Amino acid sequence: MAKVYVTENNDRIHGIMAEFAGPADLYHACEKVRDAGYSKWDSFTPFPIHGMEEAMGIKRTILPVIVAVVGFTGVGLGYLLQWWVSNSGYQFVTQGKPYGGLVNGGWQVFVPITFEIGILFSAFASIIGMLALNGLPRWNHPLFKKERFLASSDDKFFISIEAGDAKFDPDATRALLEKAGATSIELVEE
Amino acid sequence: MTTAPHDIHLPAALRGENINLAAGSGKGLGTGVLFVGLVLALAGLGLGFAGMFGASLAHAVAAYLVGAMSVLAVCLGATIFIMIFHLLNAGWTATVRRQFENIMSFLPYAWLMLAPVLILEIAKDGVLFHWLHADFQNDYLLIKKAPYFFGVGTEFPYFFVLRYLFYGAFWFFVTRRLLNWSYEQDRTGSVEPTAKSRLMCAWALPLTALTTAFVAFDFLMALDFKFFSTMWGVYYFAGAAFSSIATVSLILNLLLRKGKLQGVVTTEHFHDLGKLQFSFTVFWAYIAFSQYFLIWYANIPEETSFLLHRKDWGWKALGVFLIVGHFVAPFLIILSRHIKKNLTLMLVMSLWCLFAHVLDIFWIVRPMAYAENPAESPGWGGAPLDVIAILGCILIFVGYLIQKVASGPLVAVHDPYMHEGLEHKNYV
Repeated sequence: MAKVYVTENNDRIHGIMAEFAGPADLYHACEKVRDAGYSKWDSFTPFPIHGMEEAMGIKRTILPVIVAVVGFTGVGLGYLLQWWVSNSGYQFVTQGKPYGGLVNGGWQVFVPITFEIGILFSAFASIIGMLALNGLPRWNHPLFKKERFLASSDDKFFISIEAGDAKFDPDATRALLEKAGATSIELVEE
Repeated sequence: MTTAPHDIHLPAALRGENINLAAGSGKGLGTGVLFVGLVLALAGLGLGFAGMFGASLAHAVAAYLVGAMSVLAVCLGATIFIMIFHLLNAGWTATVRRQFENIMSFLPYAWLMLAPVLILEIAKDGVLFHWLHADFQNDYLLIKKAPYFFGVGTEFPYFFVLRYLFYGAFWFFVTRRLLNWSYEQDRTGSVEPTAKSRLMCAWALPLTALTTAFVAFDFLMALDFKFFSTMWGVYYFAGAAFSSIATVSLILNLLLRKGKLQGVVTTEHFHDLGKLQFSFTVFWAYIAFSQYFLIWYANIPEETSFLLHRKDWGWKALGVFLIVGHFVAPFLIILSRHIKKNLTLMLVMSLWCLFAHVLDIFWIVRPMAYAENPAESPGWGGAPLDVIAILGCILIFVGYLIQKVASGPLVAVHDPYMHEGLEHKNYV
């Protein structure tokens, strides 16, 4: 369990926020933070910076696996639903076709719905999985309290390292960011 | 390979041995393969005349047509991709486009490969093209469709031949212009050829799409003149895109194995080629099933005849094999990005996809050879004839391609989007 840090006013500390002047500064600072072994941290930029995920050492997301599992489940459920309804739940002869199924023939008629349910489940898995993995939705974030942080959508570049990180230390982390070329460093309260 | 003055500005990866095969390499091999292909293709037709393997002439023409239409699909797919790349200013394709162009340069010859079929069919009064056969001239559907097949007030298929000549003229014109501009850029380094190509593709792409659809109507769908499907052009295009991507992947894969194009074509490019391969695996399945589903559901005799010809005499097994080999297996395998980036596995998949593509065309054409007299089919005994004729057509293409790839730079070095192509990266 990570240590809990507080200010003199007994406010819990969220972490440290450092401001950088340009994308190159931020990029190299991220490499230093990554190499120092931090895991609970993020960078904030007004525009996407190519190669940032490598500089930050971001691992590949598990989302595709989630989507595949849920999607194939949808395919199976979609088929089963139709198969059960057509053969047991509510048998109904349409256009002289078989009830449907791989054994008795007439599986063709199940394909569009099976496909669509597969797509539907995949789409839900993608969007909900993405939100869940990103910790969204959330009402607020401690960084928003900082006036300076608003510039992250304009012309400034930020790194924030959370106090919850196992390697977090108020002095050492501040020193690291200073050495990495931060133009200003602030503590962020919860 | 001489170095033009402007070449010295190119990065090291785009100079010298990295982008050129040794002078004269591939000449002997290419000529040899081309020659063997020609011999086999002609032997295939000749064996049909002689009635070897218990086969009929229709069988031989069908086998030859499978090979020719498979190769034509690869060339058309490559041409359409080049046009799309130009129109979209697709940066990442700058380093791989030359291989599409090498394939595209065979398009007029692939068109020429159809000529023996057409000449034989007209001379022999429709051994495979039943709409040319005297027995069917009183068929109500054929009388209704005669203006499209023959023209108005004629017994010679003028309109069919005219269409065939138009395809050839148009394809020759378009492919030569695109190729000449690309080679001009190699020599001069000018940006202009790219702009000209893009402008031409804007009008040439829809026409190429239409000719692709109509050549499929004329040489594949018309094998059963009663049958019609509005999905047919798309079906052939799906196979064309599928097989041309597989061919390009294969060429690049082999070149990388020879130590060429290092740092020019990377696993990132293979990732994207793999995505295209995957998407057209799905696309093929989607439209193939859509066509099948509508025929199955509507149950109209003229349409179901298509599937009935492919149901008995063992053809059903091939159909099921196609579902697995052309869709399920590639779908599950190429789905993962690790495999798209694995050169060894992609080599296997490229070869497999090409095999599946030929089998797909085979499934379309070959059952029609004995459609009217299924009992006379030699069954598996006729298989050697199929192998000889199909392999012949494919080897002509392969032999030509070996020479073509070896003859010039392996990449269009002065493409204005080359910097994007070289630094192309898919993000996490």
